[in-house]
Amino acid sequence: MKRTLKWTTAAIVVVLAFGLLVPTVVWAKEIKIGVIYPLTGGAAAAGRELRAGAELAADIANNAMADLEMAMAKNAGIKSMGGAKITLIFKDHEGNPTLGADLAKKLILDDKVDGLLGCYHSSVTKTVSAVAEQYGVPMINGSSTSPGLTERGFKWFWRTTPHDRWFTKDLFELLKGLSEGKARGVAKVSKQDIMKLASACEKTEWGSFTSTLVEEFSKEYGFDLRKSLLYAKEAPDLSSEVRSLKASRADVMLFASYTSDAILMIKTLDAQKVQPKVLWGQDAGFETPEFQQTLGDSIVGILTRTVFLPKVVEVKPLAGKVNKMYKERTGNDLSGASARSFTGLQTWVHVLEKAGSTDPKAVQAAANAIEISGSELVVPWAGIKFSTSGKEIGQNELGSGLIGQYQKDASGNIGLEIVYPFDVTTADMIYPFPKW
Amino acid sequence: MEALKSAFDFSDFPRSDLFVAGALVVLLLVFPLFPHSAFAMATVIQFFIFSLYGMGWNTIGGYGGQVDLGKAQYVGIGAYTTAVMLIRWDIPFWVSMPVGVCLAVAWSFVIGFPLFRLKGHYFAIATIATSLVLKDLFEVWDFVGAARGLEISPIKYTPPDFLRLIFREDIYYYYVIFAFFLIGIFYINWFRKSRLGFQLRAIKDNESVAQSLGINVHLAKVKTYAIATAFVSVVGSFHACYIKNIEPEDTMSLNISILIALMAMLGGAGSLWGPIIGAGILIPLKSYLKEWLGATAGLVGIDLILYALIIMIISATEPRGIWGIVERLRRRKPN
Repeated sequence: MKRTLKWTTAAIVVVLAFGLLVPTVVWAKEIKIGVIYPLTGGAAAAGRELRAGAELAADIANNAMADLEMAMAKNAGIKSMGGAKITLIFKDHEGNPTLGADLAKKLILDDKVDGLLGCYHSSVTKTVSAVAEQYGVPMINGSSTSPGLTERGFKWFWRTTPHDRWFTKDLFELLKGLSEGKARGVAKVSKQDIMKLASACEKTEWGSFTSTLVEEFSKEYGFDLRKSLLYAKEAPDLSSEVRSLKASRADVMLFASYTSDAILMIKTLDAQKVQPKVLWGQDAGFETPEFQQTLGDSIVGILTRTVFLPKVVEVKPLAGKVNKMYKERTGNDLSGASARSFTGLQTWVHVLEKAGSTDPKAVQAAANAIEISGSELVVPWAGIKFSTSGKEIGQNELGSGLIGQYQKDASGNIGLEIVYPFDVTTADMIYPFPKW
Repeated sequence: MEALKSAFDFSDFPRSDLFVAGALVVLLLVFPLFPHSAFAMATVIQFFIFSLYGMGWNTIGGYGGQVDLGKAQYVGIGAYTTAVMLIRWDIPFWVSMPVGVCLAVAWSFVIGFPLFRLKGHYFAIATIATSLVLKDLFEVWDFVGAARGLEISPIKYTPPDFLRLIFREDIYYYYVIFAFFLIGIFYINWFRKSRLGFQLRAIKDNESVAQSLGINVHLAKVKTYAIATAFVSVVGSFHACYIKNIEPEDTMSLNISILIALMAMLGGAGSLWGPIIGAGILIPLKSYLKEWLGATAGLVGIDLILYALIIMIISATEPRGIWGIVERLRRRKPN
C-alpha cells in the first residue's frame, strides 16, 4: 500500500512537472505550403519537374547542409520559428483554372495551409491567386509569366520569375543584335533577312498575352509580323496552323507552347519542311527534357528563352551543387521550370524566416520587405525584391532571362548553350536554322 | 396554374423513388449547416452545376433523342453576358442572367433552324462545329477579353454582395445554385408531361409517324433546343460569378460539352432523375478519386484510369445508363 502510494505520488509529481514545463517548451511548428501544379494532362512532364524542384528546396530547408552556400541550408527548418519544418501538400490542377480555384479553397479551408505556391499555367495562377486574395492567404508564384498577373493590384500575390514582357523584349534585342553583328560567331545579318515574323501561341492566358507582346514589340522594333496564330494546346493536329505559317514565308518563327503541343509543332514543321532562319520558343514546352528526348537531333538550332540552363553552373558554382542533387534524384538537369519552382520555395523559406511567424500579416510585411541576394539563387538573377508600388505589385524587380540554343557538342550530346545576353554567351550561335 | 400543379405532381413515380429523392433534398438542404470540408462543398456545387446542365441537355438529348454536343457555347454566352455586364457597366447578376438567357435562346434559334434539318451523327457533328466556331470568335473578340478572357476582380467588390452574386464563402453560392436545382427539377417534371414533352418522345420513337400525326417536328425540336439552352445559360451566368474568371478555352471547351452529354447519358437519358444520378456519381467520383489517389498519394493518373474504367463498365452493362440498371432490377423483382 505504502509502495503504491509512493509510486502514485511520484507519478503525480512527474505529470505536474511536465505540465508546468509544457508552456515553456517551444514545439517546432509544421509550416504547410499548398503547392498546385499540373501533374496530369498535357503539361504533366513540366509538372513532374516543378514538383521535384519544390521538393528539393523543401529538403534543403528542412535539413542543415553545410556544404551549400545558401542561407536556407544553414539550419534545419525555419530558425526564427524554432526550427519549424516545411511540409508541402501537392495538388494537381490538370491545367484547368476552375479546378485550380477549387483546390485552392480546399488547401486554404480544409488543409489550413499557411501559404500557396504555384501554378505554372498563368490561367490557373489567375484563378488560384484570386481565391488567395479573397481569403488573405499569401501566394508566391515562381513560374507563371503572363505580365497581367502582377498588374491586378493584389496584396497577397508575389511573383519571383521575370515575365513575358521582359522575355519577349529579350528576343527582339537578340534579333536587333543579329542585325548589328553582336551575336557571337555570326556575321552581321541584314535586317531585311530577318524582317518577316510569324507567331503561333497556345490560346490561354499565357500564350495569348505572348502573342499580344509579339505584336507590340514587332511594331516597336520595326519588324513585319506576317502571321499571328492562336491554337489549342490540346490540339491533336497542327497541320493547318503550320501550313499557314509556311504560307507566311516568315524568316523568324516564334512559339509559346506547352510540352505536348511544342513537340507536335516541331514535328509538323519538320514534316512540312518549313524552313525559317530563326526558330524561337517561349520556354515552357521548349525546354522540358521530354522535348529534347522525343525530338532528338531535329531540335539543334532551336532557340528558347529560359531562366536556367545547365551551362549556368559554369558561372554559378552553387547552381552546380544544387543541379547535382537534383540530377541524383531525377536523372535530369535542372530546367527553367524546376529551377524556378526551387527558387519559388526558397523565397517562401526566406519570407518565413524574416516573418518569424505564419501569421498572414507578418508574412505579407516580410514578403514586401524581402531582399534576397543573387548569390543565394540557382537562377542567374541579381536577386529577389518585390515591387510594392506602381503598375506592377508583387513582381520581382531583379529577375532576368536568358536565351539558349540547342546545340550538339563534340561527343554528340544535345544541350542548351547561352546565346543571349551577348556578354555571357557560352557558344557561337547557329544561324540560320539548319535544314531539317 | 395547371402547369404549376403539374410541376409539383410526382404521383407517377413509385413511393420509394419519392422517399429517396425527398431524403436527398433534405440532406442537401441541411448539409452546409453541419461540419463539412470546403472540398465537399465545392464538389456538391459542381454536382448542382452539372445536374442543371444535364437537365437542360436531357430535354433535347434525352426526351428528344437529338445528341447535342455543343452545349458549351451556351455556357459561354451566359457566362460572358454576366461578366461583361458586371465588369463594364456594373449590372447585377439578377439582370444580366435573364439577358444572357435571351441572347442564348436567340442564338439557339439562329443555329437551331438550319441545324435541325440534319439528323443523327450529322446533327451531333454540326453542334460541335457551331460551338467551336463561337469559341474561336470569342477568342479573337477584344470586347470580351479575347483569348485571355475576363476576370471579376476579387478586390473590387465587397462580399457578400447578393445583387452581383459576389461572395467569399461558398455557402451562399451553394444555396443559390441549390434553389436553381430545385426549380430545374420542377420545370423538367412539368416539361416531361407537357404537350411538347410528349411530342418529343413521339419524335424520338419515330419521326415520320410523329409527323403524320400532325406534329411540327422541326418546330418542336427548335423550341426544346431553346429550353435546353436557357438551362445551360443560367448556369453559365452563375459560373462566371462563382469562378470569377472566364476564358473561352476553359468555359467553352469541347470537354464541357462532352461532359454534359456524358453525365446525362450515363445517368439515364430521357428520365427525370438520369442527369442528376449521372452528375451525382461522376462528379464526386472524379473529385475524390483524384484526391485519394492523385497528387496526394503520388499515384498521379491512376484516378483517371479508374474513372474511365467505371464509365466503360456502366456503359457496357446498360446502354441506358444507371437509371436503366435500376429499372431492369425493378422489372426482375417479383411484385
